[in-house]
Amino acid sequence: MVDLEKMRTIAKETVSRDDVRYLIGWRQGTYGFRVSPHFVEGPDEADKLIFSPLCSNNLATYLTLTEKLPVPRGEQPDSRKIAVMVKGCDSRAVVQQLIEKGIERDRVFVIGCPCEGVLDLKKVEEKFPGVLSPVQVEWSGDKIIFTLADGVKEVPKGEVLAKKCLSCRYPNPVMSDITLWDEVKPLGDGKYEDVKEMEEKNPQERWSFWKDKFSSCIRCYSCRNVCPMCYCDDCVLDRLNPQWINRSSNISENSAFQLARAFHLAGRCIECGECERVCPVDIPLMAINRKLAKEVREQYEFEPGLDPESKPFQSSYRPNDKEDFIL
Amino acid sequence: MSEQFQPNVVAFLCNWCSYAGADLAGTSRIKYPHNLNVIRVMCSGRVNPLFVINALQQGADGVLVSGCHPGDCHYMEGNFYARRRFSLMNELLEYVGVEPGRFNMSWVSASEGAKWKDVVAGVVEKAKEAGPFDQFRRNKINW
Amino acid sequence: MNNKPKIGVYVCHCGVNISKMVDIEAVTEFASHLPNVKVVRNYSYMCSDPGQLLMREDIKNEGLNRVVVASCSPRMHENTFRKTLAAGGLNPYYLEMANIREQCSWVHEDREDATGKAKKIVSAAVAKVRLLEALYESEVEVEPATLIIGAGIAGIQAALDIANAGFKVYLVEKTPSVGGKMSQLDKTFPTLDCSACILTPKMVDVAVHPNIELMTYSKVEDISGYVGNFQVKVRKKARYVDMEKCTSCGACAEECRLAGRVPSEFNENMGNRSAIYLPFPQAVPAKYTVDPERCLFLTRGKCGKSPKCVDACLAGAINFEQQDEIAEFKVGTVIVATGYDVFDAAKKPEYGYTEYENVITGLELERLVSASGPTGGDILIGKGENAFVPKEVAFIKCVGSRDKSVGNEYCSRVCCMYTAKLAHLVEEKLPDANVRIYYMDVRAFGKGFEEFYDRVRREGVRYIRGNPSEIFKRGEKLVVKVEDTLTATPLEDEVDLVVLAVGLEPRKDAREIIDLLRLSQSSDKFYLEAHPKLAPVDTATDGVFLAGCAQGPKDIPDTVAQAKGAASSALVLLSSGKVKIGAQISFVNEATCRGCGYCVDICPYGAIELVEINRMGNIISVARVNDALCKGCGACVAGCLSGSIQQKSFMDRQILPQIAVLGVMR
Repeated sequence: MVDLEKMRTIAKETVSRDDVRYLIGWRQGTYGFRVSPHFVEGPDEADKLIFSPLCSNNLATYLTLTEKLPVPRGEQPDSRKIAVMVKGCDSRAVVQQLIEKGIERDRVFVIGCPCEGVLDLKKVEEKFPGVLSPVQVEWSGDKIIFTLADGVKEVPKGEVLAKKCLSCRYPNPVMSDITLWDEVKPLGDGKYEDVKEMEEKNPQERWSFWKDKFSSCIRCYSCRNVCPMCYCDDCVLDRLNPQWINRSSNISENSAFQLARAFHLAGRCIECGECERVCPVDIPLMAINRKLAKEVREQYEFEPGLDPESKPFQSSYRPNDKEDFIL
Repeated sequence: MSEQFQPNVVAFLCNWCSYAGADLAGTSRIKYPHNLNVIRVMCSGRVNPLFVINALQQGADGVLVSGCHPGDCHYMEGNFYARRRFSLMNELLEYVGVEPGRFNMSWVSASEGAKWKDVVAGVVEKAKEAGPFDQFRRNKINW
Repeated sequence: MNNKPKIGVYVCHCGVNISKMVDIEAVTEFASHLPNVKVVRNYSYMCSDPGQLLMREDIKNEGLNRVVVASCSPRMHENTFRKTLAAGGLNPYYLEMANIREQCSWVHEDREDATGKAKKIVSAAVAKVRLLEALYESEVEVEPATLIIGAGIAGIQAALDIANAGFKVYLVEKTPSVGGKMSQLDKTFPTLDCSACILTPKMVDVAVHPNIELMTYSKVEDISGYVGNFQVKVRKKARYVDMEKCTSCGACAEECRLAGRVPSEFNENMGNRSAIYLPFPQAVPAKYTVDPERCLFLTRGKCGKSPKCVDACLAGAINFEQQDEIAEFKVGTVIVATGYDVFDAAKKPEYGYTEYENVITGLELERLVSASGPTGGDILIGKGENAFVPKEVAFIKCVGSRDKSVGNEYCSRVCCMYTAKLAHLVEEKLPDANVRIYYMDVRAFGKGFEEFYDRVRREGVRYIRGNPSEIFKRGEKLVVKVEDTLTATPLEDEVDLVVLAVGLEPRKDAREIIDLLRLSQSSDKFYLEAHPKLAPVDTATDGVFLAGCAQGPKDIPDTVAQAKGAASSALVLLSSGKVKIGAQISFVNEATCRGCGYCVDICPYGAIELVEINRMGNIISVARVNDALCKGCGACVAGCLSGSIQQKSFMDRQILPQIAVLGVMR
C-alpha cells in the first residue's frame, strides 16, 4: 500500500543527511496526467514528491548523468550520495549500472517503491481527453481510481496499464537501501509472447513490418536519451571519425541505428520500456529489445540487472555456448 | 539471356586459422566462386558485429565471419566471444526480417582448405538465392 | 609540410602464378587511378632483390610514405616487405598486402572474374594503407632472475641449468625437502638406476649452488607483473626449527612423544614418523621440521612438563615462537614444475583398495621395495605378527588412466614401464613368487623400453590381456576376477597381493598456480602449453614456462629434457636482457573511456586494467593496456561499446573503409 506520508518523511530525512547531495523522485508534471522527475535538494522540497500509477519515468537514468564539473584548486570533488526512488524495473537499471561500473555502490542511496503497474499515457489521454488541471491517480486492487476536476472515475486496470507492465516479473525493487512499503505480486509470467508472435511470421512479413517502423524513425534519439543503459559520453553511433552511421534518416541509416542500439543493449536492457514510451513515432522498440532479452535469458541463462556481483553479459562466454548456426 | 545475379560477399577471416585455411585452399589450387572478398583480422574476436550491419549497408549481399574452432583460438578465448556476439547478431537480423543466409559464421582451421571451398561455395549460393540485398542498402548519391 | 599519403602499389606477376589468371596490366592501370596513388609498378617477382630494390628506390625518389604490395599472402611475405620498407627508410608498418595469389589467381578459373576481384582487393588495400600509422616495437628489460615453482627433478634440473648460466634462481618447494616423487622411487626403468643415487647429487648441488636461493617448506603466495618484471611473494612456513642451528642429529625425533605414531607421507602412509621429522634420510636441506598438525605442543599448547624434543636438542635449535616469513623479490621469468599426484585408487571401489590391506598402489610398493622404506626393502604385507611375504602377486595396469568413468581419458605414459620394473623387482626379491600383469596394452615406446619389457617376460612375469572387473576376498586370498581376452577365458585368479598401477593426475591444488599466473588447463586438466608441437614448454603467458609432469605425464628422461627446454627458453629472455613487445597492440582513448571494465574481463592475457586518473579534479577510472602483455587479438575492441579501445593497424576507422570498398565495388 502506497504511503505518501512515509515516503515524504523518508525523503526529508534522506535529503537532510550530510552525505546525500540530492534526491530524485517524481512530482506532478506540467499539466494533467504528466509527471516530471523532481530533484529534491532540501527537505522543504520533499512535499511535492508523489508516487502514483502515472510515475512511469525511470529515474535511474539520471544517476549516470551527474555532472563531473572541474574541481576548483584546493577543493575536493563532491562525493556525496545521490538518493533515487525506484520502482522494480528501475532498480534493475541501478543494479545493471553497478555491474557495469557506471556508478559506485557507495554513491547511490536507493529508495525502493514496490509498484503495481504504471499506466500507458496515450490510453489514459484517450479515455480522459483534454484534462489540464492536476490530477490524483491511485491503485485500488484491479482498478485505477482517477480523481479529476469533474469527479472520481474508476477504470479497470487492464484498460489503461502500460503494455510492459503486463509482462513484468520484478515489481519489487531487486536492491534497495530502504523499501517504503510491502511487496506486491508480479503480473507477468516471463513468456515473451509478443516476441514469439513476431518470430512466427515469415521473413517478408517481418521486414515489411520493421521497414515500415524504421522508416518513420526521425532519429530524435529520445530512446537513447531516456535509456538508463545508454550513457556513453560520446555515442559511437554519433562519431564522425570513424563514421559508422550517417545522419540521414532514411531506411538504411535508421535500420542500422536501431539494430546497432539493440545489439549494444543485448544482455543489458532491463526491459523498463521507457524507450517505447518516449518514441514520438511509436516504434515498438520493446519488441526488438525483448527479443534479445529473451535470447539472452533462454540461450545463456542470464538476466541483467539482478545480481550486482555478476559479470556483465557482453564480457562473458561459456565453453559450451550454442553454435548451431555455425557452418 | 539474362545474366545471373552475381552476389557480393564480404568475409572477415582470422589470421591464424581461417585466413591460413583459405591460403591452403589456394596452395592446393582448389577452385571456388569469385564472389567473396576477404578482410583479414588477427582474431574472430576482433570482428565487431556492427561490421555486419555496415557491410550490408555498403552493398554486401552476404557476410561471413570465420575463425578458429572453439578451444583452438590462437588467443585462447577470442572466438568464444565471437560466437556469442554473432549468435545474437544473427538472431537480431533474422528477427527484423533479413533473409536467413545473408549472415554466416564458420569455423575453418588452418588445415581445412577443402572446407574453406565448401564454406565459400555455400555462402555464395545462399546469397545468390536471397538475391540482391536492398532492405537497408545505403544508396550512394552520384554528385 | 605535406602529410598527404603517397602510395606506391606494386603488382607482382609471381612468375606466371598470378599473371596466368590475373591481367596484371589491367590491375596496374586500375590502381594508378586510385586516390593518393603516386606510383604503380608491376614486376615478375616483387620479393626478389631487384623487386625490393624497385620499392626502396621509389620510397627514396618518389617520397612514398605508404606501400601496397599486391602479390602472395601476407602470411608468406609480410615480414619480407616490412624489412624492405625499413631498409628504404620508411616505417615498416606503412605496408598493406593485397593477396591476389592464394585467394585469387590460384582459386578462380575465369580470367575476367579473377582480374575484377584482384582490382577489388587492391582497392581495399589502398583504402586501408592510406589510414595506417607508423608503429614502433618497444622493449622492456628483463630482470636477470628466475622463479622456479617446485623442486622435483624438473625444477632441480631447470634450476641447475639456469644457475650454471650465471643467473639467479629462486627455487621454491612446498614440502620440507627437495626431490619430489623421484626421491620416493627405488629403481628407475629401464636401466634400473637407483633413483636416489642419481637424484641426490643434484639435490645437493641445488642446495649449495651460489646462484640458487632454495626455499623449502615455502609456498608462492602471489605473483604480479609481466614478462621480465614479475613481483613474487613467497611465504616461508615456520618449521619451528632454527635451520642455522639444527645439525640433523635426529635426537628430537627419537625422543618425541609421538615417535613412530604419525603416518609418513614420504612412505605413502605405510610407515610412521615422529611429529618432528626429516621426510627421508637423504632429505635436502637436512633440517628437521615440526608437523604443526600433529605436534602436541602446537595443537594442545603443552607437551608434558616440557617438550621432549627441546630437551633432547643439544644445539637448542627448536623454537616454538618461530613465525612464517614473507620473502618478496623480482624475477624476469617463471618456470612451473609442480609435478603430479597419483590417482586415488579409492575411486575404483571395485578393486577394494580401501578394504583390503593387500591391495596397494604402485607407489606404495615402490616404498616397500626401497631400502629406505618402512620395511627396509623387504616386501612384507601387513603389520607386526600378521605380516607375510606374498607368493602370488598380480599387477593391474591402467588404474585411473584411459578411463572415462573416473574422468581420465588419457594414458599416463609411465605405468606400463613402472609395472614392468616393479614386477622385475618383485621377481628379484622374491624368487618363489609368481607374478602376473593384467593389461589392456603394453606401451614400451622409449629407448630401451621394449628390450626391458622383453627381459621382464623372459624372467617369468606373465602378461595376461584383460581388464579385471573386481577384486574380492575368498578365505585368506584375494580373487581377481578377469577375462583373459586372448583366449576368451574367464578367470578367478587367487592372489596374495594386488598392485594397482595407478596413473598420474594433475595436482589437486593445480588451481592455485592457475590463479597466480593466468595459466590454462588442457582437457586432461594438466597445464596447457602454448602450442602442442611447436611450443611445448611455453604458456600463453609470456615469460612463464612449464617443465615436467605439471604439463602432462612423462617419465624421468622426458622430464629432464623438458626441464632443460624450459631453462633454455627462460635463458633466451634472461641472457638477452630485453624482450620485444609487439607493435599491433591495443590502446585506450582515455577521453572517451568510461571505465566499465568490459575489456578488462575480456582480455585473455590480463593485459588491461582499470586505473584511476585525475580529470580536472575528479578521480575517474579508465582502462589502460599493458603494452608488454597485449598480444594484439582485438577481442577488447569488439567488446567496447564506446569504441574507446582500438587496436593499432586494425582500428575501426581502418577497417570500415575496407568494408566500404568491398561492399560498393561490384
